[in-house]
Amino acid sequence: MSAKMNFKMNFKINAKALRYLIVIALIALWELLPRTGLIPELFLPSLSATLAAGWSEAAEYGHALAVTLYEVVISMAFACGGGILLGAIVGSLPRPRILIMPMVSSLYAVPLVILYPVFTVWLGIGSESKIAFASIYGFLPTMLATAAGIQTIDPQLLLAARSMGATLSQRLIRVIIPAAIPTVLSGLRVGGALVIVGVVVSEMLISSAGIGYLISRYRTILDSPHVFAGVLLVLFMAVAFNAAIRGIERQAAIWQTGTRAGQAADEINASAMQPAT
Amino acid sequence: MQPLANVTPLKPPARAGAIEVRHVGQVFRTRSQDVVALEDVSLDIKPGRFVVLVGPSGCGKSTLLLMMAGLRQQTSGTITINGAPIPQPDPDRVGVVFQEASLFPWLTAEDNVEFPLALRGVPKPQRRAKAQDALKLVGLDGFGRRHPHELSGGMKQRVSIARGLVQDPPVLLMDEPFAALDEQTRMTMGDELLRIWAATGKTVVFVTHSLTEAVYLADEVIVMSARPGRIVDHLQVQLPRPRTYEMLSGDAFGALRDRIWRHIRKSA
Repeated sequence: MSAKMNFKMNFKINAKALRYLIVIALIALWELLPRTGLIPELFLPSLSATLAAGWSEAAEYGHALAVTLYEVVISMAFACGGGILLGAIVGSLPRPRILIMPMVSSLYAVPLVILYPVFTVWLGIGSESKIAFASIYGFLPTMLATAAGIQTIDPQLLLAARSMGATLSQRLIRVIIPAAIPTVLSGLRVGGALVIVGVVVSEMLISSAGIGYLISRYRTILDSPHVFAGVLLVLFMAVAFNAAIRGIERQAAIWQTGTRAGQAADEINASAMQPAT
Repeated sequence: MQPLANVTPLKPPARAGAIEVRHVGQVFRTRSQDVVALEDVSLDIKPGRFVVLVGPSGCGKSTLLLMMAGLRQQTSGTITINGAPIPQPDPDRVGVVFQEASLFPWLTAEDNVEFPLALRGVPKPQRRAKAQDALKLVGLDGFGRRHPHELSGGMKQRVSIARGLVQDPPVLLMDEPFAALDEQTRMTMGDELLRIWAATGKTVVFVTHSLTEAVYLADEVIVMSARPGRIVDHLQVQLPRPRTYEMLSGDAFGALRDRIWRHIRKSA
C-alpha cells in the first residue's frame, strides 16, 4: 500500500518535472533555432529579439493589451452571464429546450467569424463590434454546457429533496445549482477561451486597436519580432485565464468531490500526467 | 418532539404511524393506451409494524411507496397516514429512504442529515444536535464530516436512514434501500435496520426484490403481482425476534420463502 503510494507520488513529481523540462526545452529551442540559422529570423525571430522588440514598444503594447483586456472582460461577462442564465432556463424547461436547442446546436457548427464583417457594419470598427462578436462566440458553449449540466442532474436527488418537503425554489438553490456547478465550470473554461479567440481574431480582421490589430499590422510590414511579441502577450493571456479557471475550480472542489464530473476531472488530470511507457 | 435516542419501542406515540390504503388504483396514460399500474389495492398497516412489499418488476410496489410518501397521486382510492390523506410530501409524518444515489455528494454526512431541517429553517445548533443524535443512532458517530464518496455503500445507506429519521416521523418508507449493496453488507445492514427499528418503534414499509431479505426483516410480507399490480398474498411472519442468521436455514423460513416465490413465479 505505502510502496504503491510512494510510487504514485514519485510518478507525479517526475511527471511535473518532465513538464517543466519540456517547457524549458521549448524556450531554449526558440532561442537557439533562429540563432544558429536553422530557421530564418523572418519565420521565427529568437526569443531575445522578440522580447527586445516588445520592450522597445512597451507603451504601444501596454495600450493594446489594455484595449484587448477590456474587450475580453466585458465579453466574458456577457458570454458567461448570458450563457449560464439561458442555459439554466433551457436546461430546466422542456418547451424552450425543444424550440431552442436544435437551433443553438447547429449555430455552434457555423463558423461565426463570417458574421464579423456584418457586426463591423452595424457597430463600427471599435470595441463594440469585438465585444458583440466574442460574446456570441463564447456564449454558445457556456449555454450548451449549462443546459447539459442541469439536464443531467440525477432525478433521484430531486425526488429525495421533494420527499423532504423542498419547495421549487429550495430545489433550485440547494440541489440544482450545486449539482450543475462542475459542468457549468467546464463550459466556462471552453467559453472563456473562445472569448479570447473571438476578441483577438476580430481585432486582427478589422480594427484600429488591440493586440490582434498590432499583430496584424506588424505582419503586413514583415516585422517578425514585433509580431511574435504580440503572440507572446496573447499566450500569456490564455495561460492566465486558464490559471484563473483552475483557481475557481479548486475553490469549487468542495462541491465537486464525489460527483461524476468531479471524478472525471480528476481522472483526466491523472491520465494527462502519465508518460508513455 | 423528543430526541431520537430517547424514543423507546415500549411507548410508540398513540395511533401515530398507521397507514390505510383503500381501493387504490393507478393508471398511466400513454399516447397509445392506458397502462394499469395498480388495481384495487387495499392495505392496513398498524403502527410500529415492519411491512415488506415484494413482487416482480413492474408490479407497482415502488409506485405504491411513492404514493404513501405523497410524491405521486393515485388515480383512484385513498391513502391515509395517521388518519389524514397525504397530498404532498410531509416529512413530519413520513421519512423516505431511497437507493444509494440519493445523498447529495457535495454535502458532508451531517449536512446531508440536516438537509430536511435546513429546508424548514431550523437554527444551526439545533440542527446539528439532531443530526448528531440521528448519526449516533445509525452507528456513524464521528463520521459526520465525511463526504458521501468517502463512505462505503453501507455507511451511505446509514446516512440515508439517519436523514429519513432526523425529523422523527412515525413512518419510514424504504425503496429498495440495500439493492446496490453487496450481499455481506446487505445482511449487516438488515440487522442494523432491525436494531434501529426496535429502538425507535417506527412503522416501516420496505420495498425489496430479495425474498430472503423480505422474510428475514418483516412482520408481514405483502406479495404483489405484475400488470395490473395487485396484492396476491399477505403473509404474517411469526418468526421470533431478534431474528438470527440461523433462522435462514430453518423450515419455517424456507416455507415462507417458497410460498412467496410460487406467487411471483406464477405472475412473472
